[in-house]
Amino acid sequence: MKKSSVFTLGTRVTVQVLMIVLVLASLLPLYNIVSASFKTADEFTSNPISLPQTVTWDNYHYAAISGKLLAYTLNSFLFVPAALLLYIAVCVSAGYAFGKLRFALRTPLFLLVLFLSIFPQLLLATQVFKMISSLHLTNTGLGVILSWVAYFAPFGTYIMTTFFAEMPYELIESARIDGAGPYRILLTIMAPLAQPMIATIAIIGFQAMWNELPFSLLILQEQAQRTLTVGIALMKGEFGLRVPILSAALVIAMIVPLAIFLFFQRYITLGVTAGAIKG
Amino acid sequence: MHKRGLGSDGAAPYVLLFPLIILLAAFILYPVAMNLFSSFTQWKGYGPQKWIGFDNYVKMFQDTAFWTSLQNTLVLALYIPIGTFFTLLIAALIREGIKGWKVYRAILYVPNLLGYVIMGVIFSIYLRDDGALNVLIKAAAGSPLHFLIDPVLAINTIGFSLVVWLHLGFGLIYFLAAMNSIEPSIYEAALVDGAGFWKTFTNVTVPSVRFAIEFFVVFNFIEVFARMFPFIYTLTQGGPGYSTFTLEYGIFAQAFQKFQVGYASAWSMVLFIFCAVISTLQIRMMRRREA
Repeated sequence: MKKSSVFTLGTRVTVQVLMIVLVLASLLPLYNIVSASFKTADEFTSNPISLPQTVTWDNYHYAAISGKLLAYTLNSFLFVPAALLLYIAVCVSAGYAFGKLRFALRTPLFLLVLFLSIFPQLLLATQVFKMISSLHLTNTGLGVILSWVAYFAPFGTYIMTTFFAEMPYELIESARIDGAGPYRILLTIMAPLAQPMIATIAIIGFQAMWNELPFSLLILQEQAQRTLTVGIALMKGEFGLRVPILSAALVIAMIVPLAIFLFFQRYITLGVTAGAIKG
Repeated sequence: MHKRGLGSDGAAPYVLLFPLIILLAAFILYPVAMNLFSSFTQWKGYGPQKWIGFDNYVKMFQDTAFWTSLQNTLVLALYIPIGTFFTLLIAALIREGIKGWKVYRAILYVPNLLGYVIMGVIFSIYLRDDGALNVLIKAAAGSPLHFLIDPVLAINTIGFSLVVWLHLGFGLIYFLAAMNSIEPSIYEAALVDGAGFWKTFTNVTVPSVRFAIEFFVVFNFIEVFARMFPFIYTLTQGGPGYSTFTLEYGIFAQAFQKFQVGYASAWSMVLFIFCAVISTLQIRMMRRREA
């Protein structure tokens, strides 16, 4: 269907040019990093923005091995998926309870979850660290996993709640007549129907945990336990101003988020709108 | 509408909510409550806590670092209306369709994907005095802009890059989705009435996506008050001096660099009040939409 337009051809061209300028401007810092990552330190000093004259892979080798980026990536791949499974279980069961079940404390508990969903991590950090220490979980994957799931679950729960709340009750009623209890209804009827929304909160949760800094910075103090995000954040101090190495580290760190984007773009777009726009 | 209040589902809801409630109690509720207590004590984060009444608060209100951090946080908040207007305007301009939008959308969304840590480090390289952007600026204007060195420019650099620039892709996808749910006949009627772009924007588009605008503004407030620590940590580390300290960054510096955890808790209480207000506004918006 052709939309009605108030624009003349000239305006349309101007808008197109404006968009291209915006896109190029946002590509420039990324190009800067990628091209720097293939330069030697000397070449970067004399030639900070043009394409590299000679391509070197040394920066990547150094960042991945000496900079331990490979090890950090493995840590992230260990901690984040484990946290994600727990996060999905927590959000789906809580979202189903809030969205479809009847109980006395439903509204006050739901409001509490919403209220707690935005507090800054720095406000909680000292006490979270104390809690993790008293559980003897510092420098362990389980420590960050618990703190991540606790911190990110309220938002995922909110999204699952609005989704379940809009599902027709008839589905539940007929299953009930067949004698199914609430747990069986969740596992065999609701969860399968909620698959696209579960995929959406999984992507939101993955991005949030993969990029999480404050809790992992405090809980994972041993270098061997660092996640990729902690490693990148601390690398600037450790590598000083050796920009080409730092750039190679950044390019390595970009690979996973970009790959996720390429494979799951549909759910990411859904996720952007799921928090607020209905239908 | 389903009839509510007809009995209840017994214990099942509480069983299903148990994991969430335990995690929230341990990692959010309890920390917030203990933070209030800590703000009246002298404490290094370990060892004994000594009750000192309101001393931390008195010290905070006399601390220039605190007032600078508060002021900086508010400066960043001033970028919210600018960023919202800018994003909304571009969304309205490209609503009618634009060549290559799918590719542009993907590229503009990349910063949201990479997150604040990676973007903060990238910008710390890109915006240096001898960085790529300044090479271009020097070629065009003769002298570089001290984005991260000049105290006034530094906080504004963060405001623009975080609030306006990094969220552009997210905001465009979000506003375009909202605009797509506007009835096309309303636009056709405006066109028949001879309304130009500007009039259509103010009289049709903005009122129709009012809820989306409110959500976007609140989202940005949450980012500024509660989510941007990783960006400042990797871009300027609060410097030069205190010139890019925010409340969040100040808490980090007091608690984890100076080990004045009791004092940091007093700062946290100020941030708590701001966040409680934002959270309450957000809940009211969500409930109004559900009604």
